[in-house]
Amino acid sequence: MIRPVSSLKRGWAVLWRDNPPGAALLFSAGLTALACAVPAFYVLERSLSAGRGRWQGLLDTRIPQLLGNTLTLAAAVTLIASVLGVGLAWLVRKSDLPGRRAWQWLLALPLVIPPYVGAVAYIIILGPRGWAREIFGERVFDIFSFWGVVFVLTMFTYPYVFLICGAALKSINRNFEDVARSQGLGTAEIFWKVNLPFMRPALGAAAILVSLYVLSDFGAVAMLRYSTFTTAIYYRIDGYDNVSAAILSVALLALTLIVLGIEVRARGRRRYHQTSEVFLPPRPVKLGRWKLPALALVLAVFACSLLAPAGVLVYWASLGIARGALAGEFWRFSANSVGVAALAALAAMLLALPVVYLRSRHPSVVSGLIEKLSVSGYALPGVVIALGLIFFFSRYLPMLYGTFALLPAAYVVRFLPQAIQTGGASLNLVSPRMDEVAKSLGCSPGKVMFKVIVPLVTPGLLTGGALVFVSSLKELPATLLLRPPGFDTLSVRIWVEAGEALYHLAAPAALLIIVLSIPPLKWLLARR
Amino acid sequence: MNAIQVENITKTFPGKRSPAVKEISLALEKGKILTILGPSGCGKTTILRLIAGFEKPDRGRIILAGKAVADDTVWVPPEKRGVGMVFQDYALFPHLNVYHNIGFGYRGKDRKERIAEVLELVKLSGFENREPHELSGGQRQRVALARALARRPVLVMLDEPFNSLDAELRGRMRLEIARIIKESGTTAVFVSHDQKDALAISDQVMVIRDGLSQQCGSPQEVYRFPENSFVANFVGQSNIMSGVIGEDGRSVETGLGVIPCEHLHDCRPGEKVEVSIRPDSLELDERGPLLGRITCLVYTGESYEARVDFVGEGGDRMSLLAHVHPERTVKLGDMVRMKLLPEFVAVLGCRPATCQVPRSAGTGRGAAD
Repeated sequence: MIRPVSSLKRGWAVLWRDNPPGAALLFSAGLTALACAVPAFYVLERSLSAGRGRWQGLLDTRIPQLLGNTLTLAAAVTLIASVLGVGLAWLVRKSDLPGRRAWQWLLALPLVIPPYVGAVAYIIILGPRGWAREIFGERVFDIFSFWGVVFVLTMFTYPYVFLICGAALKSINRNFEDVARSQGLGTAEIFWKVNLPFMRPALGAAAILVSLYVLSDFGAVAMLRYSTFTTAIYYRIDGYDNVSAAILSVALLALTLIVLGIEVRARGRRRYHQTSEVFLPPRPVKLGRWKLPALALVLAVFACSLLAPAGVLVYWASLGIARGALAGEFWRFSANSVGVAALAALAAMLLALPVVYLRSRHPSVVSGLIEKLSVSGYALPGVVIALGLIFFFSRYLPMLYGTFALLPAAYVVRFLPQAIQTGGASLNLVSPRMDEVAKSLGCSPGKVMFKVIVPLVTPGLLTGGALVFVSSLKELPATLLLRPPGFDTLSVRIWVEAGEALYHLAAPAALLIIVLSIPPLKWLLARR
Repeated sequence: MNAIQVENITKTFPGKRSPAVKEISLALEKGKILTILGPSGCGKTTILRLIAGFEKPDRGRIILAGKAVADDTVWVPPEKRGVGMVFQDYALFPHLNVYHNIGFGYRGKDRKERIAEVLELVKLSGFENREPHELSGGQRQRVALARALARRPVLVMLDEPFNSLDAELRGRMRLEIARIIKESGTTAVFVSHDQKDALAISDQVMVIRDGLSQQCGSPQEVYRFPENSFVANFVGQSNIMSGVIGEDGRSVETGLGVIPCEHLHDCRPGEKVEVSIRPDSLELDERGPLLGRITCLVYTGESYEARVDFVGEGGDRMSLLAHVHPERTVKLGDMVRMKLLPEFVAVLGCRPATCQVPRSAGTGRGAAD
């Protein structure tokens, strides 16, 4: 006899591999996943209800043009950042470059400068009334151009490649190089035939990261008056043309999905394994007469990506502080920034825990899907998230629409993946035997969570919270679109004041953001 | 009353074709120690996890202290079973010190006294404030055991407890853990792949292979009278030969001649059987009936492990492993005379092995119905 209830129960048990989670855990993680899916879903829904005419109009003219702009920009930045990042990583990890240990740090440091702040700095230096013009009497390089945008974005994204490929290079066992050398290969051949193939998975991952960043960047692109999908979407929303914005967003999401698809395919294809447990540290290659040119390159990159922008900001900040830029207003913006970013960080830590716990302790199709949805925000550009939240809140939660509550909501969707990653990494270090011992000692699943899991993963979650905090602090497009009138944050002030060339007011806020970004970067470096 | 009784449990993991555990039954009286012995991947840890409640059996019944905790209709979650666990990696909570680790699940009013009592039992009084990372391997293990014992569990189960200890410590901890368990009066189930662990500490040994029980009995029974060639080879070394039960019903006719044999496994005269001959039962003896040549010789310190080629009555050669006392001087290629001691010769079971639940264990309603 078939009993429907029991066969349903059996199916549920099989789905969870005989280990179904409790209702509270599944409910909280599932709700988080649904909330993270809200922006993309409503953007898609709105774009589909837009009607053929609107789609046709945009597909005929605007979308091809934006596609061209966005793709060429992403391709150029990714290519140059990859070459630069790999080259620098090789110099620092494999050669006898003077000061290699210090450069490992210094060349990663530009990560703390948000690209839109970098753009402001380069407008000050290379803009139409910039320092370069004052010194040379004529315009040296037009920063408001395609190559200007490429330059700025490259300077602040190459560290991703540098860090990821540097870590990969460091982990290559020296035996492989020694074997190649014993077969009569020279340094260049070893690079092409040994180092580069080993680095390829890492380089692929880093290149994807850079392309995703370029696709989603709004601040630097907008400040340099270039036009990509993100800026087009932003100005449509600003002009209350949300439907067109939704259509453009869907096009951008499709592009993002293609890039992610490439990553999945590339990652699936090859894997390299170290063949030996014995690990020898690399033996540095002698640069010889190339030592000076190499050093000059490293210095030039460091100067362009860190010294120059930081110098400009310090100069204008000191001018601004002398003129009273740190008045009450400034601290009000800072408090707003810190307040919403802290809310987002707290929420992200609380929401990440059920998701990572479910994924780690109750593996199944369902928990995998929940995790994937919860981390989908990392591929969503800020403008798209903002648009989706505008749709959702104005329709279903109108009492919250127009309050500052939308800001932490957008930050959580966008940056929750960072908390999930760090929280998950630290939960992976906690053996499932801990849970089982606690259960055998009489703890209910809820008690296991609070007496064992929470104390053990708190360090990882706090790190994730710190990353979310700093990312939220820097976030620009969603903040601009979602803030209630009169609710200014540090990033909003940088945008507004730099737009009006009030650099002495923008610089202190930019410096504060940079200083607050340093501790999490230290953590990232320590992990690599 | 049995502290633990398992009746015909079967468990197949989702996505796997063959069951990890097949129709396993066992019973253990209060205060006794059982070791589930088998090679890695044989399903022994799954049995442990089924009893603890970390896995659900597909069929069969588990009864703890007279109360069913898992069968077709009943399911008691691990936190309500009162089974203490000691894992291979000990799983001490790294955020708690020894005192709080041991007191973790204890809810009685006499918490302090009870913790002091079990610390005394495992001889770690004074270690209350140590953090787990400040302890040695053996101390960690004793803390894990103390933690499991603190709640006075119906049953304590230890999963490969000696695996991560070095050889010297392993021997000492074996006796120490057995002492603690006996002294506390607890019933214990060990899981091990090491026959020395199993023989040294157990009242009962259960040998498992591919999820199936091979033999169940006291250490002496399992070693002296193995049911089948797997048990004979897994628990110690053995030579397996074929033969026929003699007319007198007390001996076996083999290629080496008629061997007196103590344990015939109810096989009838004339039946074809396999015989297990332990290397210890071959002894050098100048007047012995067997003449053979040493073809391989390994010195282990405790003895020589010699492979001796005999020529049987029918003219066929047989190669047997023998243990030679290390004080005897033997060389490779030597012709030696040996005799057979009947104590360690056993006829292997000629019928499929079954693991009997003792009579007192109850009705034995299984999953077959």
